[in-house]
Amino acid sequence: MSTGSRIEDLQRALAPQVLATLVRRHGQFDDCEDAVQEALLESTVKWAEEGIPANPRSWLTTVSYRRLVDQWRSESARRRREETDVIQRSAGGRASDRDDTLALLFMCCHPSLSVPSQLALTLRAVGGLTTSEIAHGFLVPETTMAQRISRAKQRIKNAGVRFDLPPEPERSARLRVVLHVLYLVFNEGYAASSGLELHRTDLTAEAIRLTRMLHRLIPHDGETAGLLALMLLTDARRAARTNSDGLLVPLDEQQRTLWNQDEIAEGVALLTRTLGSVPLGPYQLQAAIAAVHDEAANAEETDWPQILALYDVLERVSPGPVVTLNRAVAVAMVHGPRAGLALLGTLETDDRMANNHRLEAVRAHLLELAGEVVGARDSYRRAARMTASIPEQRYLALRAARLG
Amino acid sequence: MKYMIMMFGDQGTMMETQTPEWIKDMIEFMQKLDGELKEAGELVDGQGLADPTQAKTVRISNNVPVATDGPFAEAKESLAGYWIVDVSEERAIEIASRVVEFIQAPIEVRQVMDAPPDI
Repeated sequence: MSTGSRIEDLQRALAPQVLATLVRRHGQFDDCEDAVQEALLESTVKWAEEGIPANPRSWLTTVSYRRLVDQWRSESARRRREETDVIQRSAGGRASDRDDTLALLFMCCHPSLSVPSQLALTLRAVGGLTTSEIAHGFLVPETTMAQRISRAKQRIKNAGVRFDLPPEPERSARLRVVLHVLYLVFNEGYAASSGLELHRTDLTAEAIRLTRMLHRLIPHDGETAGLLALMLLTDARRAARTNSDGLLVPLDEQQRTLWNQDEIAEGVALLTRTLGSVPLGPYQLQAAIAAVHDEAANAEETDWPQILALYDVLERVSPGPVVTLNRAVAVAMVHGPRAGLALLGTLETDDRMANNHRLEAVRAHLLELAGEVVGARDSYRRAARMTASIPEQRYLALRAARLG
Repeated sequence: MKYMIMMFGDQGTMMETQTPEWIKDMIEFMQKLDGELKEAGELVDGQGLADPTQAKTVRISNNVPVATDGPFAEAKESLAGYWIVDVSEERAIEIASRVVEFIQAPIEVRQVMDAPPDI
């Protein structure tokens, strides 16, 4: 590993711990966060020149503290501090790094923040990414992202959010928000909801890194393990998901030798450890479905009855139109396209699916399987018009054109 | 100088009337052009817009803004996508000409308003 990437790994691992230490000692999440970012920038230059110090963590903590003091020297900033100091400081006492990092995650994913703010703040404060890196990941101008992050910090301050683990009765609901934020970061990178490029691997890699960190902190939480497994089992197919022309390749046509076997093995091992020992949640079930796909040597050998059984459980645990949509594909593969189309029919009147291109794309696929060429072509065309993703639009238009 | 190069119409209709080969060529052409503009340091921004059938129009109705689906009217007058390039007018026209040659549909080149010149 090069010195540059070793420095980066170290910085990213230490960033949340150093930030948490500062917030615990001095309150003032927003000022502390700025100070840590400055210290990280300084360390990039310094460590590259002079080598990594013997105790990088205390180096970062000391420099961050100095930057914090610099900020406080400004009189108006001090006044601000005196007014709000008490609010943000935690109940006190020495907390473990584990609790600190968790508290930081809970704070960044606070329900009073909008979803885009939760994502941005998590990546900066917990992930240690710079504003410019985050802006690049979400394809927005850097000034926009800087403003989004500073607004989010202001909001946390105004809401008087405490730097502490949420009390037990709220904790599982708050953890669900954290997992959802990590899931969205992954998806943003993997599916790239808009724009020309399909993958933004920086974001998927970061989502996996943060989820892995969270899993280490709470190894017995089944859904955290499930989410990590789901990410790994999905990311494993990345190289096969597009061809050399940059066009999307559907699962059944992917070249499976390109799948990442290490990620598949890690994902499957995670699932094996948690399945059966904890109550099943939606992430574990989705990961289990991904594992069945990943373990099939070719598309024909896919164990569809097993997948359908898992979707049946998923629909009971967390019902919703998107689950029904995916289950319709499994139904079609087990009981034939007509049965799948019949299930899709039940979504026609669901307002949540109105104008959803995936409903139309699945319908097109099932009509094609049923040999209804004209209907399939029209559905592909409608789906192509509805999607906001350029790679998906091109894929769907090509499928339609192929049917003449 | 910055110029906005605008494509009109909708990709949906365009793709529905073309062969798979043409669509593949079009994709390759667009990817190549985007790559070249990026490489040359000329590209400021470029975006494709979702189909006009997915759009909303907000207009005043009884003194309050109301959103409705559409417009569905003349799709060929709808903005489909754009590039903003930081180049001379001559070069902007050259880029637009290449696209026009390929898609066989007119393209508009508009200068982006700027601060007044220093001298």
